[in-house]
Amino acid sequence: MSSPCSRRTFVSSLLATGFGLAGGRSDPVRASSQPLRFGLTPVVLDDRIGFLAAWADWIERQLGRPVVFVQRSRYREILDLLLQGRLDLAWICGYPFVRNLSRLDLIAVPRFRGRPLYQSYFIVGADSEIQRLHDLEGRLFAWADPDSNSGYLYPRFRLTSDGRDPDRFFRRTFFTWGHPRSVEAVAEGLADGAAVDSYVWETLARGHPELTAQTRVLERSPDFGFPPIVAGPALSEPDRQAIRRVLLSQVQEAGGRALLNELNLDSFSIETPDLYDDIARMAGRITGGEGA
Amino acid sequence: MILPLSSYRLRLPLSLSIAAVVTAFSMAAALGLQTLTNLREDQGRNALTLGYAMAGVQIQALRNDDVWLAYSLLRGPEGGGDAVWILLDQTGRIFASNRPRRFRLDQHIESALPWLPQAQPQVIDETPGRVSAVDRDEVRRLLRLPLYSDGSQVGELIALLSDAPYLPRFREILLGGVLVTGAILAILLPIGWLWGRRMVGPLVQLAECMGRVGREDPRRMQCPLPDGDSEIGRLGQQFAAMLSALAQKESLERQMIQAERLAAVGRVAAGVAHEVNNPLGGMLMAIDTYRRAHPVDAQTERLMDLLERALRQIQASVSALLVEARADLRTLTRDDLEDVKTLAQPNILKAQVSLTWENACGSAIHIPAAPVRQLLLNLVLNAVQAAQGGGHVEVRIRTQDNQLMMRIENSGRAIPPEQLMHLFEPYPASRPHTQGLGLWVCYQIVSQLGGTIRAETQGEITRFLVALPLAQESPA
Repeated sequence: MSSPCSRRTFVSSLLATGFGLAGGRSDPVRASSQPLRFGLTPVVLDDRIGFLAAWADWIERQLGRPVVFVQRSRYREILDLLLQGRLDLAWICGYPFVRNLSRLDLIAVPRFRGRPLYQSYFIVGADSEIQRLHDLEGRLFAWADPDSNSGYLYPRFRLTSDGRDPDRFFRRTFFTWGHPRSVEAVAEGLADGAAVDSYVWETLARGHPELTAQTRVLERSPDFGFPPIVAGPALSEPDRQAIRRVLLSQVQEAGGRALLNELNLDSFSIETPDLYDDIARMAGRITGGEGA
Repeated sequence: MILPLSSYRLRLPLSLSIAAVVTAFSMAAALGLQTLTNLREDQGRNALTLGYAMAGVQIQALRNDDVWLAYSLLRGPEGGGDAVWILLDQTGRIFASNRPRRFRLDQHIESALPWLPQAQPQVIDETPGRVSAVDRDEVRRLLRLPLYSDGSQVGELIALLSDAPYLPRFREILLGGVLVTGAILAILLPIGWLWGRRMVGPLVQLAECMGRVGREDPRRMQCPLPDGDSEIGRLGQQFAAMLSALAQKESLERQMIQAERLAAVGRVAAGVAHEVNNPLGGMLMAIDTYRRAHPVDAQTERLMDLLERALRQIQASVSALLVEARADLRTLTRDDLEDVKTLAQPNILKAQVSLTWENACGSAIHIPAAPVRQLLLNLVLNAVQAAQGGGHVEVRIRTQDNQLMMRIENSGRAIPPEQLMHLFEPYPASRPHTQGLGLWVCYQIVSQLGGTIRAETQGEITRFLVALPLAQESPA
């Protein structure tokens, strides 16, 4: 799904450098080992360099191996790097995951508000006169990322189900390449509406209430599997087990719990790929999803 | 007191204050306008620089249809700053703006800014960015930067620049001007007030003094007049000169009146003198004849001398009344002066007056005897009469600097100043009971002898000072 996929500008500063934080971190135990390359899509954390450093630090200590966060502005870039083996694992959206099910392995799924699920929110300006989804017809609409479930696949599916052509329903659409940016676009009046990741919107509401207060949730989608952390072909099975163990145990350790709290997540859990069947079904019915 | 607005005491400090206020506000306005001009220039230059800097990425955003990229670039770190930026695509539709609510995506620029001049068909020119002045919708200046890619226009970047960002700074400048003006006024107002008073005070004195001219005797006017090198000081000096000229004229007039009176009295006296002189001449001749015809003893001789001197005094007195009367030119002797004391003795006794007599003269004094005798006698009798009833009279006579100086003073009722002025007039109205011609004759005699006489009072003492020039040693 979407949210982590194209997370927003926060990270943009990080993204700009291309690498995260962990570069110089040396592991006391196995200093010579190759760093674990962890791909991130623009998440809520974009301006949280300190947090990412702390998280990388924490994983490093648990894993006994350096961790490097790699960030890109497009979800597609992270996915390509992952599939090419230039990343070991990545936090991606459920939508690209189901499209590359055969080559990606589910490591862990974050639990948000007690469940490994999230939704897509249709949002409009707080003082907008729009009351129903169909009021958005002929308006300006912001997509998050073409590889996002909540910010692209689901809203297109929703309109298609109503017999509308998502490419003609709106007067003009554009991509913001990140859910937080979509929230900004609606808040600042650039777009009349947008579809965003509920986790991102809720987390923003916690950290930047003044921003989300300028938007109003028009409609909520059914639940979908939360954007998962997946391993690419480059990561060996023992390493997959190791990182899975670390992530699953994060909630049991005080420092890890604090980091999860920063992420606005409860924990990481192990799930089966059928969590994403709904997304796969939508993807099967929408061909446009491949767009962009 | 309430000053009229026309008073310089108000107008001067007011003018100063108004000048200060006008200056301060002019300065503030000039500074403000200069600042505004500079700020506008900077704004235009900055916008142009920014526009050029953004152009490359905006062209890319247009090509990739990346609205967010264009928007985030225009939005900048502070929501776009002062200027309103609009990016148009090839068809003149809004692609992005940092005022997304006002300039909607996909809206045609003509409907968003109807007043915007039609973009001229551009000759292909890679750098036609320019800032031109407009004045619509609070937009002061307009930057239009056509975007070219590979020789063809792919869009246009428009910046609307307004003065709105400068208003707070203007307000600061204005507030500063007001504060400075207030401070200056707080200093200038009291200074101006004092200065006004200082400058105007002499004028007021002068005006008051001028108001008194014509109502008061200029010879006795006491006016505090401004002095110094300033214009007002010169005015004061001129006015003082005018006053003294007036006083001089006044006394000249009085002297003329006195001379005219003298002339009139002289004519009367001439007639009388003529009548008196004839028998007088006979009497003198009779004494002379008697002396020649009869031997006389010493006592008779003294009597004869006394008679003769008295008769001659009458003759001289009569002569003194006459302008043309010629007294005998006998030179004054010390005895002549002592005679006066003797002659006055009966009056002194009668009036119960004590006399101090001090005659410091030598034997011969080169001055006609008769008029001086008459003069001194008149003054002594006058003093005795004034000191009547236990008073005191003091007479001092001496020669000094080739002058005969006589000082006759008496105690008694002081003469009021206004009487003092008319003292030497014949038959003065203020003293009808006195012998009218006494001082008048004195004045005449002194005048004829080329001397001066003046009267002064000092408390209870009235004093006559006579100075008579002596003839040069050549015996008459």
